Amino acid sequence: MINLLFFGRLGDFAKQVPATIEASTPAEIRQLLAADFPDLARELHQPQVLVSVNKMIVGWDQPLFDGGEVAFLPPVTGG
Amino acid sequence: MSMTTRIRIQQQDFDLAEEYQLLRQSDSAVGAVVTFSGLVRDFELVSELGSELGSELGSELDRGVDRQDQSSIKSSIDLLSLQHYPGMTESLLEAIVEQANQRWNLIATTVIHRVGDLAPKDQIVLVGVASQHRADAFEAAQFLMDYLKTQATFWKSVRRNGEQQWIESKASDQQAAARWDGSDDE
Repeated sequence: MINLLFFGRLGDFAKQVPATIEASTPAEIRQLLAADFPDLARELHQPQVLVSVNKMIVGWDQPLFDGGEVAFLPPVTGG
Repeated sequence: MSMTTRIRIQQQDFDLAEEYQLLRQSDSAVGAVVTFSGLVRDFELVSELGSELGSELGSELDRGVDRQDQSSIKSSIDLLSLQHYPGMTESLLEAIVEQANQRWNLIATTVIHRVGDLAPKDQIVLVGVASQHRADAFEAAQFLMDYLKTQATFWKSVRRNGEQQWIESKASDQQAAARWDGSDDE
């Protein structure tokens, strides 16, 4: 299973999303979520949204392994 | 020269004087200390808010109204809230400090960022740099803030009239960070 995290405004769209999912890439996660959460999937397609695996920024085709942590990151606004 | 780095992400406030003393005392070679502290304003320009109203007024700002007009287009906030990605934020900040250390001759660096709920006038962030000469400290402090704002995994939201709204990232912050790209040094 892959653990899912949604930060910033993405969290507002992901309140009903299960904490874990079976998928082989972040792109596949986005595709799987589109069925039940079309608004979230649309947000995840925004080009500014980054994805990380185990706290490293990666591409959407990064292979995932069981127990991995995938986080979806909207543009940051700290400081 | 070995470099002392202090990176902290915390809910509690920090003491600028104390952090300054730590930077000042870090080495007898220190000849310059630059600190920057960021505070919560009692308003955010509505162009920074992700609302319909925000984008409407934001495009008015883009059409070039003068500064005074801009500051009148504001929206008072009751509370600012900062979320971050524990574990990732710390390693991103370490990487940013490491980049600064490679570009400038730094003796000590402090980055403190608060998370959780903050009120107007509260301190949010501290960046402090100690170096032998002032140019290194000035430039590195700006670099650290520019990169922190565009790369470190923090997200701000504000509460206005009981409603939470996420702050949008600003093109001006991206531009500020982009000026450090390309050349190895200024």
